[in-house]
Amino acid sequence: MELQIEIGGRIRALAVEVRDGQYRVTSDGETWLADVGIVDAATYSLIFPDRGHVSQEVGVADSGSNGDFSVHLASGVTTVRSLTGGGRFGGRGAQAAQAVGTQQVVAPMPGKVLRVLVKPGDQVKARQGLVVVEAMKMENELRSPKDGRVVSVPAIEGMSVEAGRLLVVVE
Amino acid sequence: MSAPLTKVLIANRGEIAVRIIRACHEMGLKAVAVYSDCDRTAQHVRHADEAYAIGPNPPRDSYLRIDKILDVARASGADAVHPGYGFLAENPDFARACRDAGLIFVGPTPEAIDLMGSKTAARGVAMAAGVRVVPGTEEALGPDVAEAEVARVAAEVGYPLLIKAVSGGGGKGMRTVTDPGELPSALRAARSEALSAFGDPAVYIERLVVRPRHIEIQLLGDHYGTIVPFVERECSIQRRHQKVVEESPSLQVSAATRAALASAASAVARRVGYTNAGTIEFLLDQSGEFFFLEMNTRLQVEHPITELVTLTDLVHWQLRIAGGERLDLDPGQALVPHGHAIECRIYAEDPDHDFLPSPGRVTAMRVPAGPGIRRDDSGAVAGADVPVSYDPLIAKVSAWDVDRPMAIARMRRALGEYDVRGIKTTIPFFRWLLADPDFQAGRFDTSFIDSALAARAGRPFQEMPPEDEHVAIVTAAVHAITQKSRTADVPAAPAERNSRWMRYAREQGLR
Repeated sequence: MELQIEIGGRIRALAVEVRDGQYRVTSDGETWLADVGIVDAATYSLIFPDRGHVSQEVGVADSGSNGDFSVHLASGVTTVRSLTGGGRFGGRGAQAAQAVGTQQVVAPMPGKVLRVLVKPGDQVKARQGLVVVEAMKMENELRSPKDGRVVSVPAIEGMSVEAGRLLVVVE
Repeated sequence: MSAPLTKVLIANRGEIAVRIIRACHEMGLKAVAVYSDCDRTAQHVRHADEAYAIGPNPPRDSYLRIDKILDVARASGADAVHPGYGFLAENPDFARACRDAGLIFVGPTPEAIDLMGSKTAARGVAMAAGVRVVPGTEEALGPDVAEAEVARVAAEVGYPLLIKAVSGGGGKGMRTVTDPGELPSALRAARSEALSAFGDPAVYIERLVVRPRHIEIQLLGDHYGTIVPFVERECSIQRRHQKVVEESPSLQVSAATRAALASAASAVARRVGYTNAGTIEFLLDQSGEFFFLEMNTRLQVEHPITELVTLTDLVHWQLRIAGGERLDLDPGQALVPHGHAIECRIYAEDPDHDFLPSPGRVTAMRVPAGPGIRRDDSGAVAGADVPVSYDPLIAKVSAWDVDRPMAIARMRRALGEYDVRGIKTTIPFFRWLLADPDFQAGRFDTSFIDSALAARAGRPFQEMPPEDEHVAIVTAAVHAITQKSRTADVPAAPAERNSRWMRYAREQGLR
């Protein structure tokens, strides 16, 4: 089976063969053999029989409906985007390179806008505070991702916001 | 006071409510839970013998509603109320309302809460008890005190200084000011945060003790004048004045200093006729001199580490004292640490993005267990939401072993096992912290985390090493294919049918 994924900012083509619970995954000329135990819907036990029988438990968490998921290893977490059979290019992938071009500052969690610290036309520095959002009883300052100019400020003091709501645009 | 308890209402939620319910059951007492709308299926409701709805999610509409909680006490026939920590725990009106309703409040008297709850009055008590306090303002600076007047007072106390909320706690309404130019904005921020968090904008000013350790003494007092102080807790690992790691004992405290701290704490507690559990916080400076900081008139979040090193169940004692029993602990033993304990507070916050709250649904979870590990979970389990309305603490993990290096090793092992998916947590931050050479050597003060974080300049706490990328690639392939077969016309995989059992086993700590 052929799969295409984006991992660590790189698009990789994978060739996968499955036989008796063993996966043979080839990418960029390298092949890994893994014995796969399904622990539950989001947890796999991997053993690499030809690499010293290294055993690792890995977890996955689906994020959103667009085929993205995160892979959790003991050593860290990485995000994988499945590019196979969905035609979901563009979007967030293109924005991953940060703080270049127009930046949208959105509410990272639901809460209430306590203070708006900038207005359209203001020049701002990277990491300068833009708005203060109160969530879970704490005041959190959202900062500019770049040096630039404030283009628009949809955030209004006192407004309740859901995660993802556009608060400030900096260009 | 002399009637033994039979049924206890727990006016709280989350891990502390569960911890108190467990203590009630161990002592043969019935436990009554109260819950807000979003907590209908929360752990504390599921553990309790009885449970009553008290209103909508915002705390002011439910967990802070004294009238509704007392109604439940009446309806359920509870004879005592345990406030836990946070919410109404340090509200003297609540303690008074319980007393007036003929209920036993599992905590100190309303008078003691009132007195020690005002930080300025508490400083007065400490001074009267002959205990040194950090230099600062004796009077509260209310909202009517002009900025210029505050600036004048600040200059008298001297910079660097701290502005602190009179009714404060948990680092809220507190600002560090290093020079007069920063005062106006810090004052505004402290007042506004104090008003929204505590309903009281009054602040006071305190000299900043340079590079101090935050050391606290847990104590218990009964109704017959006995006060027993315990081995100190080291709480210097703080982020923006919020404790994140606590340990007991402190590397910095000698046996002589411990005895001096304990006797100072007892003197303050005795001065106010203190009863039940409380904690006295001190700043310990580089020379070994210590200053009274404040008193918390309740059970602390970090009480488990004291329980682990003194072999004492503090909540049992709270209930026994409330029921009129005499405190017959050996005071000598209470000051001898048995081994070493460390606690990490696991929060639903994203350590890679300024620790912003990360509420939401936990999609899956692997929890640590095994020898020497104690977990107090808030009830975040796979499929459950971490509510946006409350404190984002999802669990406290405590590790015990014979000495500090072994306790650290155990905690690191546990943190390696711990995996929470769907939301961001502070677990990667703790993995980094416990591996840090300065932390391991005990070279730190209360500014340690804030300066270490500044030095990291936003570098992620846990970057997957390149040599593990193939594991992620294989996992991606496995997951993509497994998911495809799952969404195809296949009956539910056995693994899915098993998952409830898996979950059950995890909750029971069997895994």
